[in-house]
Amino acid sequence: MRTILTLSTLLLSFSLTNLHSQDLFVKSDLQGLKLKIGETFEPETYAENLKGERLACPYTFYYNKQGVFSRAKAISYDRNKGEIQANAPGKHEVVAVCLGLGDQRLSRTFDVEVGYAMVKEITITVPKDNYVSTYLDLSFDVVDEQGFERDGQKLNLTSSSEILSIDNTNNVKAIASGTAKLTAELDGVSATVEIKVSENPLSKIEITSNQEVARTGDVVRYTATGFDSSGNEIKNLPFEYTFYGKSFDVSESAAGTILNDGRFVAEEPGNYSISATLGDITSSKPLRVVARDIKREVYRVGNTVVPDKRTSDFWIFEGVDGRDYAVTGTHSADGTAFFWDVTDPTNMKKIDSIKVDARTVNDVKVSQDGTVAIISREGASNRKNGIFILDVTNPYDVKVLSEYTKNLNGGVHNLFIDNDHAYVLGTGERYYILNIEDPTNPVEVGMFEVGKEGQNIHDVWIEDGIAYSSNWRDGVYLVDVGNGIAGGSPSNPVPFSNYTYASGANHAAFPFKSKSTGTFYVVLCDEIFPEGVNLTEPEITAGFCHFVDFTDLDNPVEVAKFEVPGTGSHNLWVDEDVLYVAMYGGGVRVVDISGELVGDLFRQDREIGYTMTGSPNGFIQNATMSWGAQVYKGYVFYSDMYSGLGVAKVSEDKPDTSNENQYIERTGIPD
Amino acid sequence: MKRLILFLAFTTFGFSQNYYLYVAAESDDTVSLIKFDGKSATELERIPVGIKFAETEGPHGLTVDPSGDYWYLSLAHGNPYGTLTKFSTQTNTEIATTELGYFPATMEISSLTGLLYCVNFKLYGTMTPSSVSVVDPQTMTEITKIPTGVMPHGSRISPDGRFQYSVAMMSGELYEVDTVSLEVNRVLQLDNNHHMDHHSMNHQGMDHQGMDHQGMDHHSMNHQEMHHSTTQPTWVIPHPSDSKVYIAGNSSNEIIEVDTDSWEIINRFKTGKGPYNIDITSDGKKLVTTLKGEGKTEIKNLKTGKSKIVDNTTKVSHGVVISPDNKYAFVTVEGIGGEPGVLDVIDIGKAKLVSSVKIGKQAGGIAFWKLEQ
Repeated sequence: MRTILTLSTLLLSFSLTNLHSQDLFVKSDLQGLKLKIGETFEPETYAENLKGERLACPYTFYYNKQGVFSRAKAISYDRNKGEIQANAPGKHEVVAVCLGLGDQRLSRTFDVEVGYAMVKEITITVPKDNYVSTYLDLSFDVVDEQGFERDGQKLNLTSSSEILSIDNTNNVKAIASGTAKLTAELDGVSATVEIKVSENPLSKIEITSNQEVARTGDVVRYTATGFDSSGNEIKNLPFEYTFYGKSFDVSESAAGTILNDGRFVAEEPGNYSISATLGDITSSKPLRVVARDIKREVYRVGNTVVPDKRTSDFWIFEGVDGRDYAVTGTHSADGTAFFWDVTDPTNMKKIDSIKVDARTVNDVKVSQDGTVAIISREGASNRKNGIFILDVTNPYDVKVLSEYTKNLNGGVHNLFIDNDHAYVLGTGERYYILNIEDPTNPVEVGMFEVGKEGQNIHDVWIEDGIAYSSNWRDGVYLVDVGNGIAGGSPSNPVPFSNYTYASGANHAAFPFKSKSTGTFYVVLCDEIFPEGVNLTEPEITAGFCHFVDFTDLDNPVEVAKFEVPGTGSHNLWVDEDVLYVAMYGGGVRVVDISGELVGDLFRQDREIGYTMTGSPNGFIQNATMSWGAQVYKGYVFYSDMYSGLGVAKVSEDKPDTSNENQYIERTGIPD
Repeated sequence: MKRLILFLAFTTFGFSQNYYLYVAAESDDTVSLIKFDGKSATELERIPVGIKFAETEGPHGLTVDPSGDYWYLSLAHGNPYGTLTKFSTQTNTEIATTELGYFPATMEISSLTGLLYCVNFKLYGTMTPSSVSVVDPQTMTEITKIPTGVMPHGSRISPDGRFQYSVAMMSGELYEVDTVSLEVNRVLQLDNNHHMDHHSMNHQGMDHQGMDHQGMDHHSMNHQEMHHSTTQPTWVIPHPSDSKVYIAGNSSNEIIEVDTDSWEIINRFKTGKGPYNIDITSDGKKLVTTLKGEGKTEIKNLKTGKSKIVDNTTKVSHGVVISPDNKYAFVTVEGIGGEPGVLDVIDIGKAKLVSSVKIGKQAGGIAFWKLEQ
């Protein structure tokens, strides 16, 4: 066991040595160290002065520079034994810190290489049918004796026959018919598979499609059928689909997305050619793509500016008196929530407000019957935060029914109300389900959490008894809270599906079943501030909305995205196959999401229109920072952090272009 | 000789002295650089901090490294873990950030090890033991988490840099961490009547990493039966020369004096309502305590035992730091709701508020940077 010096020794050495650390250098036998997996090593570290004299470190400790989260995975340090242990292969940085010499910190980083264990097994996966003049779709899995997979390691590939050609990057092409043995070798371990290459049976390919002319954004389905020289159809051939295109607009490039199953969607109007290929046989079919032509005038109907506070979320609801009302929250302010009469959207009126001990009322929701509202609380002076339940049967005279803080001390950021239950986020970790049948006495009946170390939740949305929670890096969780699909209820929430994606920025979710196709999607929008917070310049935002096809709940598939260059997504709403999404500095965007969805919806020109939501009288004048949108009785209500509550209307008319320069318009439908 | 140097250093000789501090506004995600010239405090700069504009990330703890070249800020809220960010005092721009635990709060750097010790307050949801994160501020690497009690707060280092002290607010314990071995050295229960004997628990021996946290059913745990401290300690400060530490009993309205040689409570002084943060003059004579529940600051003469109370500008007094010349106590006051946070400057000798300056909402964390002639 490495000696840990006593306090007196340490302090003595510290005070007696009149040394300057800049004259000392840390040396260690960690330099150039190579370890095997599982091996331990007791390093010896010391300081050396300019004369090359060696000074013992009174105390030395080590750590993996990757930090605590990877400590156990790569190289760990046992302080009691004074040993480092190699746990994962690769080159790792180990920091050695020498304490007690000189007046400054002494440390140095050493590269420690942990070698891979010997390869245990190589597995080669080969397609069933392989044809001459095609590249083979092979995959190689290499596992070592410690169970680690080796990715990116170049294997030695050899073929027993010249019917296979292997290039420098291990692409394997079948150049003649016959049988060959392909061998992959690494570290003396090899695997061999027999590959049978057939002559291309095709004489011709016929390609058909369900559309001859399509709009940008329309998904066109191509089907290739192969025939032999006798005219007989050959089934289950691995066709490769590609496209070529030429834009009508010489300033634009033809672009689109084509999938392995033959689906193609174009982003630019133009003439395209879609090809199906197998080996040397190919066939193409032209496609004329015209502009989607769905632009509509989006005009602002009304705006009620909150000039002295940042506005946060909002909710529009029909009151028990049949009139229409709104509640809005405030952000980084004084704990105020405002109530508005929005029956006449052109003349919305502030009718009441409530102020609680808080700085931020981030979320506000109202029960389906319009009697109860709940506002969230962050920044309470007593740090208990939680929620306030309000009586809004008379929105002109809102009253507090109860305050609820249990398990919610850290602040409530979002919540939802559904069928006498409130779903309240408990400080970013989980949501609690409260029975609010008696709103003066909310009772906790359930709770849902992902159950992972580092779990984090941002929002929850309920529809048809299913809770859709957005959990940042853990993506969206679909939880049965009364739908019955998984036997769940508010007191017994049961998760039944989940989807995650790479950015880990899932901030909001909205489910919808496409009216035009019947496909069940959940739209997942990011929230990303790539450059952090800036108080003096406009905020930079990023991220987009991911469209995930949940038809197969066990295997949800991300099929499309809506991304506006230069701005990021926030909250969203879907109604009648139209997406309404607040894009922060990009305003509220209205997007046609009818039909099948594949690829980049913005580039496909599916945007119907948008409105910039800033106001000359706003908290920050003329600045747009759209928070969310809600479709209500034909209007698009929205909140903007700087301008308050607004409402827009999507016209049936095309945008008025009478004041625009015709020469900078986008290409329309060609003749 | 040392006293003479100090005397010369801090005697005004007719020169004005400028005091510089950093103050965090927890509900505005800003940190203010404050200058006090002996008469008036002014906000020199308001520095935006954090990553997400639309989320309040809660800058909480602040400390300046011994060289004065860098300041460090803990951001309480993250996804889900909070972060520690290193800033340059020259430019007040961010240099590096690293992730810590749940709600990282107060911190200090040991002059002996050069490491930064930050408590993870873990204000979230269910109350479970949390930890002290140890960070190498040179590389901004969190090198380990040391498990401690429930809602640890008030990370302060002994004058020799050898021990880090923190208190666990909800389990009512004082923790002493060995800054060199990075292990809990001793634990002292501060409550008079406690149900759960955390002291006898072998926290060092617990394998927190190996625990199956996913498998734990936190929801159904009977948290009502867990020990909730009657003291609710929120701060601990070591005496600059004696073997003592002083602890703020936020719920019991007292200052607890602990002898670190015998490791036992030797005194309990009653205070005003809600003592929260403490600092002690470098001569060890006066203890300055914020009284969160009253919006006041208490100055206690440790020799005579007498106290003087100073009203703060607004409500919810929070942090306190004393100038190196022992003349002034700088106190943050949170305010309520939309009120601005305030930094109050108190003349310790006169027990008088001499200046105040408004900053961002919920002023909390505070760190002294430098004193200039």
